[in-house]
Amino acid sequence: MINRRNFLTTVALGTASAAVLAACGQSAPAQTGSASNPVTINYTWWGNDDRAERTRKAIALFESKNPDIKVKGNFSDFAGYWQKRATEAAGGGLPDVMQWDLSYLRDYGQRNQLLDLGTVKINTDAFEKSLLPSGQIKGKTYGIPTSTNAFAVYYDPAKVASLGIAEPDGNWTYAEFNKFLTEVGAKGNGALFGSTDYTGVWWMFNIWLRQNNIEAFTGDGKLGFTKDDMKKWWNLTKDLRGTPAIVSEERTTQLAPKSPFGSNVTATEVTWDNFMAGYLADSGAKELKLVPVPSDDPDNLGLFLKPSMLMVASAKTKYKDAAARFIDFMVNDPEVGQIFKTSRGVPASKTQRDGTTFEGTDKLVVDYEKSIEKYLKDAPEPPIVGFGTLETSFKRISSDLNFGKVTVDGAADAWFKEAEDLIKQNS
Amino acid sequence: MTQSPTLNRRSASSTPPLPRKSRQRGADARAGYTFLLPWLLGFIALTVGPMISSLYLSFTNYNLFDPPKWIGLDNYTTLFQDERFLQSVGVTVSYVVFGTPMKLAAALAIAMLLNSKRKGQGFYRSAFYAPSLIGASVSIAIVWKAMFGDSGPVDQGLSFFGINLGGWVGNPSMTMPMMILLTVWQFGAPMVIFLAGLKQIPADLYEAASMDGAGPVRKFFNITWPMLSPVIFFNLLMETIHAFQIFASAYIISNGEGGPAGSTLFYTLYLYLRGFSDFRMGYASAMAWLLVIVVGIITLIFFRTSKSWVHYSGDSK
Amino acid sequence: MTTMATPTQPKPVKQAAEAPAPVYNPKSESAGAKRAKSVIFHIVALALTAVVLYPALWMIASSFKPNAEIGGSNTSLWSSNFSFDNFVTAMEGIGGVSTLQFFTNSLVLAVGAVVGTILSASVSAYAFARIKFPGRSIFFGMMIATLLLPFHVVIIPQYIVFQQLGLVDTYVPLLIGKFLAADAFFVFLMVQFMRNLPAELDEAARIDGAGHVRIFTSIMLPLMKPALISTSIFSFIWSWNDFLGPLLYLNSPEKYPLPLALRLFVDQTQSSDYGAMIAMSVMALLPVLVFFLVFQRYIVEGVSTQGLKG
Repeated sequence: MINRRNFLTTVALGTASAAVLAACGQSAPAQTGSASNPVTINYTWWGNDDRAERTRKAIALFESKNPDIKVKGNFSDFAGYWQKRATEAAGGGLPDVMQWDLSYLRDYGQRNQLLDLGTVKINTDAFEKSLLPSGQIKGKTYGIPTSTNAFAVYYDPAKVASLGIAEPDGNWTYAEFNKFLTEVGAKGNGALFGSTDYTGVWWMFNIWLRQNNIEAFTGDGKLGFTKDDMKKWWNLTKDLRGTPAIVSEERTTQLAPKSPFGSNVTATEVTWDNFMAGYLADSGAKELKLVPVPSDDPDNLGLFLKPSMLMVASAKTKYKDAAARFIDFMVNDPEVGQIFKTSRGVPASKTQRDGTTFEGTDKLVVDYEKSIEKYLKDAPEPPIVGFGTLETSFKRISSDLNFGKVTVDGAADAWFKEAEDLIKQNS
Repeated sequence: MTQSPTLNRRSASSTPPLPRKSRQRGADARAGYTFLLPWLLGFIALTVGPMISSLYLSFTNYNLFDPPKWIGLDNYTTLFQDERFLQSVGVTVSYVVFGTPMKLAAALAIAMLLNSKRKGQGFYRSAFYAPSLIGASVSIAIVWKAMFGDSGPVDQGLSFFGINLGGWVGNPSMTMPMMILLTVWQFGAPMVIFLAGLKQIPADLYEAASMDGAGPVRKFFNITWPMLSPVIFFNLLMETIHAFQIFASAYIISNGEGGPAGSTLFYTLYLYLRGFSDFRMGYASAMAWLLVIVVGIITLIFFRTSKSWVHYSGDSK
Repeated sequence: MTTMATPTQPKPVKQAAEAPAPVYNPKSESAGAKRAKSVIFHIVALALTAVVLYPALWMIASSFKPNAEIGGSNTSLWSSNFSFDNFVTAMEGIGGVSTLQFFTNSLVLAVGAVVGTILSASVSAYAFARIKFPGRSIFFGMMIATLLLPFHVVIIPQYIVFQQLGLVDTYVPLLIGKFLAADAFFVFLMVQFMRNLPAELDEAARIDGAGHVRIFTSIMLPLMKPALISTSIFSFIWSWNDFLGPLLYLNSPEKYPLPLALRLFVDQTQSSDYGAMIAMSVMALLPVLVFFLVFQRYIVEGVSTQGLKG
């Protein structure tokens, strides 16, 4: 795989590298392992301490059931995770098995970095047929969903009650939702705010587009919405910004990496339903509830089950079989479900889901996904190449909007410029 | 006492070459390159080679996956239309322009305060130096963020005086002062160098000036400043170049994002984000080369203008 | 860029290396005025010390406070609820990797950096300072230029090369530069030091038939002890505090040195355990602080005579 850049850089290193290279050379390892001589596969994931703990338990279980395979685990935070994967991929050194996010599936799948899991043995019989396409690109399966999550409005019933406001039932329009936030902010007396600016969340925008029957991205990797759509979206909370209905961006920055909702500064938050456990731990609240997102069309909530994460394997893995067995175990094994509960989302495989007992908060999440079943539409296709970057700029530009650094028009212009530039770069 | 390589060479060549000497010279050349080998290898493999590569990459579109695609000057022209880039330049320039002189002024003032034969001088010198040693660490960045946060000690201290700014960390107009305070806090390193320089100034100069009736201000401008000018120049040059390259503390304080509202988006942080987060290595390389050019020009300007205000001992005045 | 390399630049530093000259001390003042001045001096200096050391004190004090009191209403440094709990939590580490492991990693990297720098910088400096060979002044100028070069220009290609060689997530990229004298500052420091050693030393040795290897090992190295000590201290501390290098090259948490572990800690513990975070910060700084207290004289002298940065 010598091309021009390799040549240039390799020449630059000269003799020193040759010596090091020789010293580091290894003989090719065997493709399959045995109990006495197991193969080792690398597995990496993002997440917090809690997930690390659970994952280690799952790995230990897998190793005890598969003595011919050892799994070496690594993890990092979400942002750092993608920096690492990109640089590893560039050198052909992706770990054998990885936890993956829908936002980055196309980046790597389309660039032939991921293994076509259709070529190995993974049992997908227990999966909803509508869910699997979100792990597929052009007919090839690059990712298997571990679990699903759905968008929801979280609220803390105790806080809402203490303000003397009726609990919401999730049957609301944007105007009604805004009114609710305004009321919380007004009665919160500077101590409690309505929410963070929900128009700063990409997936909420995506849902709003679906409510208006617009696809975010076209089949050929272009934007499916216009600048006007985006302005309309960001204008939804125009009158709320700078009022107690929305917690100030200053405050949000101060609290980071903890969220305002987890810090008991806001009464509601719009996000994925599998964040429940984290919010409960952070806020120390006795109970948190989930209701559907607002919509101006009561028959179309734009909701869908998204794979909260996927399992993928490197295209260059030497241990396809071992990788496939590990993936199969992680997505299907009921005991793995018992370990993770809903911390990865609701298990996607029915085998795993049925084998897991959900109690307390976990039950809330499962019940929520059941309650919205009738509104669910197909899961989205993997977004365009470079989507991760666009999602980050969406959040950043929306934050600038709340700081009052840009107008809605300027914000839409800025995002479109970046998006068009990115699409051009990757075409 | 100044032995520059030029001087040595001149004295060596003034003696007529003898056969034995020329053999010696050959042996010396071999020995010289042998001893120099580690540095030379590192210089070629870790500096020159990568510099050439990054110069090449700066003219390409390179995302780490696909081979680099030659696009000429596109990266450089795009840079100047990139608002985030311009913002990062603004942030960095204001940091350098305000932070460096403030830090050096503090260092010089305190060095002059300490430049006496009083007891405890050594203690103060060490105590003031300590922040320079730890200031660039992740630990201090974390502590800084906590201290300047909502109801941190800084907020509480200011409230005591009736100033209610709230936390600095989340306020886009207060993050720069916070970063500047972090660098000014590390005034110890240039201070110690100033102090060493001040000790070199002969005491009789001040005595003579006193007899002429010169006050402290005149003494400062007529004696201290010119006599200290080489040290001031050295500190100014090094601190300015360092200030351009601030990274770790900005990264930690802004969670690696350069926020709030881009107010801590330092040049190097944006370079890092472009390269290692957006995978636009060509673009990042162009940024790196632009930085090299700018730092080079600034160094050049420093040296050019230094002739008018830097006086080396032995110079005729 | 050759302008940067003019030999005028090291001059101010060299001047500073001379023995201290008498300090201005006017004789005309009365004893009383002197005394008053001295009191004012100490008041000002002590006030400054308090301001300068406050962040460090606050950090250490906070590490012993329960979470709720940090940044809370208790503004005094001392808390009656003094406890080691934060340190106990911090020692547990992150995601199954103990803090002791991070310590060991930092130590391995720092010791490696010291050994590499001492070996490579002293040898290279000997060539620059004591051997005459063609191209020496050009190379010396280039070395000085690298002092001023923003290193960001080399990190991307360096990264790509180490990636191609499969050396990412090893300590090789972090240490190889130390063994190849890539920290020009230390080479420069040693060159300056060696140039101030009398030339008669090696001339005499040469007459006795000693070669460069012997002159270097048995004459120069023993005499260079002060420079070697400064170099060791600073390369240790720089390596200990390094953030960008490990951030780029290391993937596995069990290989992380402390600064990276600290960041992971900040990100991972979403339930923001402030106390433990600060306790871990204190522990990460501890070796540097101990180093400072022990070698304080060397460090400050090193800075004043060699113009080192902290």
